[in-house]
This record gives sequence, C-alpha cells and structure tokens, in this order.
Amino acid sequence: MVNVTKGILVECDPAMKQFLLHLDDTEAFGRKFVIQDLGENCLFISSDILETLQDKIDDIMDRLSFPLAEK
Amino acid sequence: MFDTKERKAKKRQKVELEAAEEYDDFEEESPQDVKSAVPESATRQVDDSAKEDEFGAKDYRTTLDLKNDHNSRPLFVAPNGHIFLESFSPVYKHAHDFLIAISEPVCRPQFVHEYKLTAYSLYAAVSVGLETNDIIEYLRRLCKTSLPNGIEEFIKLCTLSYGKVKLVLKHNKYYVESMHPEVIQQLLKDPVIQECRFRLSAEESEGGIVEGQVSNKSALQLNKPANGNPDQPGTSADGTTDGAEQPTVPSDIFDYYDKMDREDEDETEDLKTVSFEVKAEHIETMQKRCIELEFPLLAEYDFKNDTINPDINIDLKPSTVLRPYQEKSLRKMFGNGRARSGVIVLPCGAGKTLVGVTAACTVRKRCLVLATSGVSVEQWRSQFKMWSTADDSIICRFTSDAKDKPIGCSICISTYSMLAHSMKRSWEAERVMEWMQSQEWGIMLLDEVQTIPAKMFRRVLTIVNAHTKLGLTATLVREDDKIADLNFLIGPKLYEANWMELQNKGYIARVQCAEVWCPMNPEFYREYLNTKSMKKLLLAVNNPNKFRNCQFLIKYHERRNDKIIVFSDNVFALKSYAIKLNKPYLYGPTSQGERMQVLQNFVHNPKVNTIFVSKVADTSFDLPEANVLIQISAHGGSRRQEAQRMGRILRAKKGAIAEEYNAFFYTLVSQDTLEVHYSLKRQRFLVNQGYSYKVITKLAGMETVN
Amino acid sequence: MATTRKLDCKNLHGYLKTLPWHVLDKLYSHPATCLAVFRQLPDLSKHYVMRMLFIEQHVSQSVVNLWVNSKYQDEQKQAVTALTDLRVWHEETMTGGLQGWKMNQTFRKNMKIALLGGGNPWTSGGEQLAPDKHSKDIPFLDKYALERWECVLHFMVGSTEGTEGVSRDIIDVLLHAGLMKSDSLEPLPSITPEGFQFLLMETGSQVWYFVLQYLETVEQRGMDLIECLSFLFQLSFSTLGKDYSTEGMTENQLKFLQHLREFGLVYQRKRKSNRYYPTLLAINLASGLSGLSSDSQRSGYLVVETNYRVYAYTDSPLQVALLALFCEMLYRFPTMSIGNLTRTSIRDALARGITAEQMVNFLRSHVHPMMLKNNPVIPPAITDQIRLWELERNRFKFTDGVLYSQFLSQTDFELLRDYAKDLGVCVWDSPEKRVMVVTRFGHDDVKKFWKRNKPSNS
Repeated sequence: MVNVTKGILVECDPAMKQFLLHLDDTEAFGRKFVIQDLGENCLFISSDILETLQDKIDDIMDRLSFPLAEK
Repeated sequence: MFDTKERKAKKRQKVELEAAEEYDDFEEESPQDVKSAVPESATRQVDDSAKEDEFGAKDYRTTLDLKNDHNSRPLFVAPNGHIFLESFSPVYKHAHDFLIAISEPVCRPQFVHEYKLTAYSLYAAVSVGLETNDIIEYLRRLCKTSLPNGIEEFIKLCTLSYGKVKLVLKHNKYYVESMHPEVIQQLLKDPVIQECRFRLSAEESEGGIVEGQVSNKSALQLNKPANGNPDQPGTSADGTTDGAEQPTVPSDIFDYYDKMDREDEDETEDLKTVSFEVKAEHIETMQKRCIELEFPLLAEYDFKNDTINPDINIDLKPSTVLRPYQEKSLRKMFGNGRARSGVIVLPCGAGKTLVGVTAACTVRKRCLVLATSGVSVEQWRSQFKMWSTADDSIICRFTSDAKDKPIGCSICISTYSMLAHSMKRSWEAERVMEWMQSQEWGIMLLDEVQTIPAKMFRRVLTIVNAHTKLGLTATLVREDDKIADLNFLIGPKLYEANWMELQNKGYIARVQCAEVWCPMNPEFYREYLNTKSMKKLLLAVNNPNKFRNCQFLIKYHERRNDKIIVFSDNVFALKSYAIKLNKPYLYGPTSQGERMQVLQNFVHNPKVNTIFVSKVADTSFDLPEANVLIQISAHGGSRRQEAQRMGRILRAKKGAIAEEYNAFFYTLVSQDTLEVHYSLKRQRFLVNQGYSYKVITKLAGMETVN
Repeated sequence: MATTRKLDCKNLHGYLKTLPWHVLDKLYSHPATCLAVFRQLPDLSKHYVMRMLFIEQHVSQSVVNLWVNSKYQDEQKQAVTALTDLRVWHEETMTGGLQGWKMNQTFRKNMKIALLGGGNPWTSGGEQLAPDKHSKDIPFLDKYALERWECVLHFMVGSTEGTEGVSRDIIDVLLHAGLMKSDSLEPLPSITPEGFQFLLMETGSQVWYFVLQYLETVEQRGMDLIECLSFLFQLSFSTLGKDYSTEGMTENQLKFLQHLREFGLVYQRKRKSNRYYPTLLAINLASGLSGLSSDSQRSGYLVVETNYRVYAYTDSPLQVALLALFCEMLYRFPTMSIGNLTRTSIRDALARGITAEQMVNFLRSHVHPMMLKNNPVIPPAITDQIRLWELERNRFKFTDGVLYSQFLSQTDFELLRDYAKDLGVCVWDSPEKRVMVVTRFGHDDVKKFWKRNKPSNS
C-alpha cells in the first residue's frame, strides 16, 4: 500500500516555512493548502494555490521594504 | 462564507499596518496650532507642470536652453525647485556656499548634490542679508541652462516680504527696523500696528520715524590659530586654503561670488535704515500681526548697545581655536554687528557645544543653556570651563539633582523638562523659576533643539525672555510643515554643514554603517505571526539569533580593544541582554549619580568596554572613547534617532587616520519582521548625507565560535 | 516559475568549433582566416604551429609532448585540444604504429602566405581606387558605426524616441536569435528576456553575437557561409579610415556588404558606390570578445551614488532607454538625466529576465571616468543591494511533484526510492517518515515500476 498525491514541493528557510504554516493555520486564502509538513525546510502543498501564494509573498516582501531613494 | 474570511484577512492586515504606524516617527507629530504661527505664503510650493517622457520622468529638455559653456557651470535647476550641484565642478565652492544659504540640502553623497528651494529656505536666505535680485542673478549665472521662469517668480514671491523687517532691541527699546522705507510705511497704515507703536505724544502723526545705520562689520572676534600649525586644516573662513582662483571659472560667476562673499566681510559701508519704536508690552501682538501681514519680524539683538543688561565677564580662552565650519556658522549669526536668532546644524561630534560657547562669549550677556538631560547639563558645564574663562562662580546648574543656587548667576544651564514641566516644584525651585521669568536673557542656547516636542518648546519660550535664541541640532528633519515651528519660533536656519566634507577633512570619525541580518528563529517567528502589534516587536528584539550576533560582535570588538555602546529602546531586551552578557546598563530609572558612575567607568576603566543603554543616551551623552555602536532595538522609523545615535561615535578618533573606517555602527535586524521596514526607513537621513549601509547577511567567523 | 536562458555568447573559437570540418577546410583556403585564427590561439598552440609549419610530415605525439616541461601538463592539453578542435592539425598513425600530429595542408599553405607574403591581395585592391571626393575620416566612421548599431538596439528597446526603424533583414536576425518574438496581434515584434540581456552587453559582444546569429541565417538567404566568413576575416585586417574597392567581389559578397552596411560594420555612401570603408565594429569583430570593444572608444556616462541615485551624462535617447530598463527615471535635462534604482525598478527588470549581474555589469562598464578612482568603482552597498533584491525572489523553490507516502515497510520505501533516485527523478525523501517526492515527469515510470514490483500481498 502506498499513497500518491499530486502537488508542489516547497523548499525554503525555516522562517518562511513558518510563514506558510501561519497562512495555512489562519486559512488566509479561505482554506487549508498544506498537504504535508516534510521537515525543517520543506512543505508539500496543493498546486492550485501557487499563484495566490506567490502574490501573498510578494505582498509581504513589499510591505517589509521601504524606498531608500529620495524622489 | 468566503467573504467574511477575506474581510477578516483584510482586517488583520490593517491591524498590522496600524501597529506599524503607531510606532512610527515621533518627530512627525503635527502640532495643531501651526497655522497661526506661520505666514500663509510659507506653505507655497513651486508650480511645476512639466510634461513627462516615455519613462515617466519630468522632461525639461525642450523648455530649458543649454548654455554654450555649460561644462564650466555647476547647476541644473529643475522648474520644480530641485537643484543639482556637481561637486566635481571647479565652481563647486562658489555654488555650495550660495546654495546652503538659499535652499535645503536634500542629499549630498559623493558626486552630485541635490538641494531644494522652499519658501522657508528663501526666508532664511533673505534673513541673513541676501536680496531677491542677487539670488536670482547668481542662480542664473551658476545654472547650465536658462533659468526656469517659474523659479524666478517663486523666488520673487517668497523673498518679497520676508526678511525685510526686523525687530531690534536697541538701547533697551524695541524698534521695528527696515532698510526699505516703503515697507515701514505700509506697516504703519495697519491699525493694529498703529496701536503697538510707541509715540512721544498723541498729536505726532507723521514723523517719528527714526533714520539710522546698520554696520556690516561682523561682531565676531576670534582667536586665530598660531602660524605653522599643520594639524589645523584650512585657516580661512570656508575651510579651504587655496586662494588661487581656477581659470575655468566663468568670470561672471567669480565676480558675483566675490561681491556676495564680501558682503560677509568687514569692509562694506554702513547701510541706511528706517525704524519706529514699539511699546514693549505689545511686542507679541506686533509679532503676530506682522506674520498675518506676511512680513514676519526677524529678531536681531544689538547687544553692543545694550546698556541696561550688564555684561558678563566671559571670553574664549586664548588657546581656543575654532574649526573653519564652526567659524563660518557663527559669521552667519553675527554678520552685521548684531546677533541674529536662528538654528545652526552640525553633525553630532562636530563641536556644536563650542559654537554655543563662542556665541555666549561674543554676546557677553546673561546666558541660558537648555539641554535634554542631566548628563548633558554636566557636559555643557565642563565644556564652558574647558573653552572659556567661565568658572563655577558664574556657572550654575538648575536641575533636580544639582545643589547650585542659580539666582543671579551669569550662565545658567538647565533642561527643557525642568523648565517646562507643570507639576508642583519645591519652594526653592519655584523661586528660581520666578527669577528666570523676570530676567532679560541676552542669549538662550537651545541644545538638540529638534528633539523637543513643539508643545514643550512653546512653553519654554513663553517662560523665558531672550534677545537671541540659538538652536543647535544635528538633524533638521525637513518635513516642511514641521520645520515651520522652528523657523518661526527660533529663527531661520543659519548654517548647515556637510557631513561627508567634515569626515573627509578628519573633523569627525569615518563610520562604517552596517545592517546585520538576523534570521528569525522559527519558534519565535511562529509566535510573531500569531501575535498582534507591540508584542511582535518584543519577539523580534529577543530573537535568539539576534542575541548571538550581538554577543559575537561584542566579543569581536572587545578583542580589538574597542569601546562599545549597545542601544536598546526596548527595556526588557536591554536588561535581559545586559544581564546575560554581564555588562553594565543604564536606562530611564537609573539615578543621575549611577549614570555618571557607569559612564565614568566606561571612559576610564579598561575592564569596562561595553555598556548597554536605552534611548536616554540618544543625545548629548558625550563619550569620545566609544567607537562601536550596536543597535538592537530602536524607536520605529525615526531617522533622527538613527543620526543622533550615530553621533555617539562620531567624535574624531585620534591617531587612526590610516584606517579606512575608525568607527562602526551596527544595526541588528530580525529578518521578515517589521524591524526590516523600520530599519530602512531610519537609514534615509544618513544615506542622504552620503553614508551607505553595508548589508551583512552572515557574520564571518560566527560558526567557528559556537 | 519561468526561467530565462542565459545568453551564450561564444568567442571565435567557440563558434568555429561548431562548423563542419569541410567548411573549416574551405575557410582556411584564405590566408586572412588562417592568420585570424592563429591570432586567437593559446600561446602554446601558436608555438606548436610555428614549430611545425615547415615540417611537411607527421610529428610524433611523444615528441610534441617533450617540447613542454611536464609541470605544464594542463596548458599542454589545452593547446593540443585547441588545435584539434579547429582542425589545424589532426591525429594520424605513423608508420611504425606511433601516434602523430599532421598539420592541415590548406592551413599550412595559407598560413605561410599570411606570414611570408605572396598570393593574391587580401582585400580587392584599394590601390586602384582614385582618391575619394567624399573621403571620410575616422571620427566620422566611428560616429556612423555607433549610430547604425544603436538604431538596431533602439528598435529592440521599443523606445519611441529618435529611431528610424530597421530593415526586414535585421528583424529576421533578431527573431531568429530569439532576441525578439513576433506576436500576430502586434504589428512589430516585441523583445524577449534574452533580448534584454543582449541590450545590457557591451557593444563588442553584441555585434559579435548578432553576426553569429546572422551567419546562421545566411544559407537560408541563399548565400554562401564560407564567402561571408572569409570576407569578415578580410575586413578584420583592413585599416580604419581607408577606403576599399568593391571590385572583384562576388554577387553574394555584395549582398553581404549591404547587410553589413546596415548594421554599421561598413560605410558606403550609396548602395551602388564602388568603394566602402570598414568601421571599427568590423575591424574588431574577428578579435571576438577578447579584443578591444568599441565601448572603450566612448567614455562612460553614468554616475552611481551611494543613495541609489544614477546620473546619466548623455544626450543619447538609447542610453537613457537602456538605463530605464532597470532604473526609475525622474528627470531629463539637456545633456543629463536622473534616475533612482528602486526595489520596484530592479524587480521589474528581474521579472523581464535581466539578471542582477547584468545590471551591475552594465553600470560598471558605463561609469563616468571620474568614478574610476573609487575602489570598487560602483558603491558596494548598491551592487550588494541589487543582488539581494534578486536573492529575495529566490527564497522559495517550488517543484511540481508527486508525494509518495504511507509505505507499509521500510523495504518497500527503499526499493521505490532507490529506483526513483537511479532515474534522477526523486527530489526529496525522508526514510524516517517513509515519504518521498518524485517529479511530475518521473511519476509515470515510478508508478509503473511500483505496479510491477509491489509486494503481491498488498
């Protein structure tokens, strides 16, 4: 017996993994998307969330940054 | 179903943002009553409706005509008031002095400096004696292209009424004085002003206007450095020794510069003035009315002719020599034989105190110094004794700790909060306050003037009457409606030094700024994501990876025999770091005595090389020995705090000329937290002064240690 | 996530190696080619050629090996490979069974001519031409060449300012090279990520890359590759500022000349004119990437400040358009433009396939001379930050895959995992959890393998 699931393997640093788990826990996209927690740097997630997730990541990075140059 | 969740998510995002804003620049608080204190026209902006090119840039290529000899002219002037100065131009020096006088520096890195013309900067320009036509004409000559039309109009508009009228105290009578008779005539037509005017008799209707003269001779008398002293770079007023003029300077620029420069010097003839006397009790009404009429009064103090307030016996010691930029800033203050009120902007560690002491020694009237903390009061006192002939018999401290008896003293040093607080005072303190309020102070020195909240500042100004107010600061943050307060409460900015120039000449330390990335520990980050607002920052500061980096940096620098200050705004982190690392710390509740002891130990005890301090040490803690600063937590995105903290290690370091950097400023930033955003925001001011932050993603040697 | 292929810009050797041997042999029938190839050889290879040029027979490999101190094995190997790859020599078994090197006869013959003289003149005789009434000097030619070349670049940027458009031939080359792509809805082709990379290369590399791409299309145009190449090599030995006659050129070569004219490699006053002037772009061409680039002819114009400001001292709309690829432009003054390097502008550029390294190189290779006294030339905080912005985009790695879990035994797990690993399709595994991830692509094979081999009782 073996179980087979299609999805996306995510490899990232431990903090970013926490970030994804947080999005999953809080159902930030309206539902759960983490299929399995694979360890310190890896997660397995559903494929259809990828685009939304990447937008969210861009969003958080945008908010952390600050324009240094004077206009 | 989905909708509500989305809304929740949005709400959560909003909460996060609000938390971020809550903790933002405290300098950006906006006082409610600004309007009344600032003339309408001061909010003017240059009108710019340039078309855009295909990349969205403002395109001035068709509206500005390039001059044939544009290569030998140093400026591009944009129709929106931004000015770009080539620091590599042979005419740099000529243009720089001029631009500092008429505009605000925006950024001054290595090659091209940006300035901006504002209503305030032009107000400052006319108040130090520049005239509308000279400003336009010289700008026209320095410019590589034709001068944009809007700029000429803007300058005219802003300088028309500013700086034309002065409030002068002469022979202990107040006069409204001007070199423009038509302005005086115009003011006198106003019924309110008529009320304030002092007349010998009621029937005297027309005359009564006093004609007089004002000297252009500087009131500043300084010791010249002994000849043949090679350690003292630059002996002329502008810090350069090269008298020879470069042949590439177009003659029209050189001639004009010469003319403008001479106006600062002692030779020009006296200028005619007209004035009328004002009733002393109506001074405030008068000032307010003049602002409403858009003729704000500039305060000038003719201290040489003040016979009522006694002189104090104080001079600079013969050995005291000013650096060129210190001298230059004071020339702006004392240029016309009187004392102008205003603000002088010098980097921390560049010797602001000596500028203040020299100003006091020039005016030689009763002097009040206001500092930000008890420690700073001590430092002012010792600086007065170091540079001038003043001693304990004439200097008194007015603080809650000091046992001095200030009543009747010549130089009084206190803190803003001591004067401004409204809680009950001791009987003795109450008497001192009464005495202070009854005095006519010759000069008031306002240290770190930018740190004081506007409200407290106004209180101080209503309590103390001073003929001259000199504000000293390192960071005049230029949000235009914030600067308004200082401009009209104290006076215009008289001088602002260029950090990089002072650094290159060795007057301040060469600091390497670094942002050290500390990855969030996963458990902490999980907590961080699940908590709201302020607690987030606590988790970020206490990130174990940050602690390890801090520990590593301290060890590394202690081994190099450096002296290290660690800053933390967060008191919990301050204590827990310091206790874990077994280092002394001081913060708000630390008593004055203990503070002095910790600092003395840091300075003199070779075993104490690291101290932990809270934001109480942001300003005015003069620790010349310190050369390493580690910042583990800070106050939001405050650019000013960043610059002031850096000031703690800016004092020039002895005998380390050979090294590229002789001081280090680290900020430890927990990654993926609000700290990242704040840290970038904080850097802007220093980045505009030409500093650059090196990002350190991994500290070399960190792994081998642990 | 879409990946961009990095432009592979071959040098002269890299290109010639890709040609079939009979083409190479024909190329060597012209002395100019032989000399051009010789100039580009590693020093040790040159030494071998010189020693063997007059030995009309095989030289034993062991003898050749003895010419070099055994400490320099690596250089020796390189030199041998270079000569073999370019078919300057080839291996042959000598009588007695020893392995020997034999020099290419065509190369030998024409190399001798190149060195010793004789044969026909390389370029059809400039001597016969009467003095040019419209003679052009070097500054004119340099300016002309750059203008023509920038016309091509301008077309690629799609900037609306100061461009005249380009011919169909050039568009074909750009499309063929993948630097631009056609969209049936748009009248004009649009730039590709590779095209962006191309724009930020130095002019020398750009011209070389473009010409290589062009050469790949000549045969489709019914032209002869060898004739074109020989002509290019001849051009590389011509003198800047001197005019040459078109007399004696073949029909093919005349057609080729017209194309070169369009890219700015040669100047010809009129299409029918019987004389032409090679420009620096052509003369530098055969020296490939290692030689002088034409950029060094023009002084840099960028001032990059520690506060993320960039000042561009130029009037050229193209240079500004290039900068605007990754820099937010703020002001345009006569002779100078101002921009900011921002996180947004850099990220936009990264998203279009330009790498951080290319942006940094572009800044570095166009800095204003006065910045050169700085070390490093570009403020490190700026170059670091551009790279960090690039890294920021790579914090996550997403791989489409299939998760295999809930194996009943460790043996089952290891059996399947080892199989997937052997196929190179296992991207992640954990023996403790008995979980592995196989690529989407490898899933079918692994599934089949499992069906065939799974324990019968399950």
